[in-house]
Amino acid sequence: MDPQKNQGTGASIVARDITKIYGTGADAFHALGPIDLDIKPGEFVSLIGPSGCGKSTTMLLVSGLEPISQGHVEIDGKPLTKPISEIGIVFQDHLLLDFRTAIQNVMLQQEIRKLDKADMRSRADALFEQLDLVGAEDKYPWQLSGGMRQRVSIARALVHDPSMLIMDEPFGALDAISRTQIRHDLEMLWLAKRKTVLFITHSIEEAVGLSDRVLVMSKSPGCIVEEISIDLPRPRPAHLGEYPEFAVYAKKIYTIFEKLGVYNF
Amino acid sequence: MAQMSTVETSGGTRGPALPAWLKSGLLTIVAVLIVMGVWQVAAIAFDVPVWLVPKPSDFMARFVSDFPLLLHHAFETSKTLLMGFALGVLIAVPLAFAITSFGALERGLFPVIVFLNIMPKTVIGPILIVWFGIGPLVAVLIVFLMSFFPVLVDSMSGFRAVDPRLYYITRSMGASPAQTFFRIRLPASMDHIFAGMKIGVVKAVEGVIIAEFIASSAGLGYLIMRASGFMDMTLMFSGLIMAALVALVFNSGMSIAEVVLMPWARRSQ
Repeated sequence: MDPQKNQGTGASIVARDITKIYGTGADAFHALGPIDLDIKPGEFVSLIGPSGCGKSTTMLLVSGLEPISQGHVEIDGKPLTKPISEIGIVFQDHLLLDFRTAIQNVMLQQEIRKLDKADMRSRADALFEQLDLVGAEDKYPWQLSGGMRQRVSIARALVHDPSMLIMDEPFGALDAISRTQIRHDLEMLWLAKRKTVLFITHSIEEAVGLSDRVLVMSKSPGCIVEEISIDLPRPRPAHLGEYPEFAVYAKKIYTIFEKLGVYNF
Repeated sequence: MAQMSTVETSGGTRGPALPAWLKSGLLTIVAVLIVMGVWQVAAIAFDVPVWLVPKPSDFMARFVSDFPLLLHHAFETSKTLLMGFALGVLIAVPLAFAITSFGALERGLFPVIVFLNIMPKTVIGPILIVWFGIGPLVAVLIVFLMSFFPVLVDSMSGFRAVDPRLYYITRSMGASPAQTFFRIRLPASMDHIFAGMKIGVVKAVEGVIIAEFIASSAGLGYLIMRASGFMDMTLMFSGLIMAALVALVFNSGMSIAEVVLMPWARRSQ
């Protein structure tokens, strides 16, 4: 587990016909798929779709955290058999431990992975700087605002320099203003390191604002119905409307959602 | 606990005024003195005999003169209490963890636990006396039973309260079961465990005196019961005060332990 090993490279994710069925027999629930994914190293890909379409399930399947019912996944060309460790995870809820300070929450990665303490601490300090968290190190989660808690959660996901970051609606619980700022901060971190990001969202603005590619999913059982490459310069501005193309991309996604019956106007 | 948090918030911002804890402490003392004074005056005015209701001056004098005896029995009571309570916590917390970890155990054991929990624990006293004879052991076991269930039930809800998605993150870190338990599940459950222990200690104090009434040859409950046999009212009242002091020591001990062991929980107000 050398954190330097993957410096500058992200993992590739290839999934073929992955399907998730919860339960068996009459109670079986077909939650997802079959879907295919081809994510290049260092690519920023968003999955967007209605609630319950299996976006989060997709994320858990490609990271090996939940068993796949059918199909297979390859990470960096190697078949996925167990949970990937070269990964950082951020959920909608910060899921920080109340009994640890911000820095201790981040250093949990170092403790459990038994990495070098001084090295990890300097990486954590650098991330705190980049994520505008300086001064929050010794605060407990309840002493931080929602936005700062989520920033700590991102620092925890990145401190061990994983080759892939999966984020399940990470900004979903934040107010619109914090969300725009944290979107930019995440983009800057990604531009510096170019790790593979699988980003799950309900927000068209976030998907277009952050991604190289947006995969649009249908209602449950979710399938990928459209793939949209986002060709906008980076870093992208706070107000995405500055780009006329933004309206075109957004319109495309709205149209798909209307066609799928996600929206009914 | 209320006192602990006021100590922290009073951080000298009130200038020359008395700190909040001192103020509330003084008020308590004044209130107690007023009650005692009224009691004393009424007992004298109505000429109530000492063997019926002793005056505060009678039992306070007895408290002072028989202090070594009271202290000895308070020590015995505390020993019983501590052993029974510690046994309760040491069995309840791991059992709660096992029950919440294995579904089969939960389905099999939980109805039994619920039944034992609603059953009045002191009824086991006579049975325990037959098995173990009159002595401190029976009292320890009754204290154990009284404090065990609140700790078990609250620890179970504590172990369940951890968001299961957190385990995705720890699994991605490659955490071993021991690491997950000691670094996440146990500390994350601490506030629930403490809530159970606080109820448990109150139950234990209640239980220890009752246990000593029926089944012991030492301790404050035994002392009070023996004094009752001699109609020694002043000794019974001094025993009562000592029992209240023991309860106070244990409850404050829990509050201090909570502050020391869970520094993160000091969310005063």
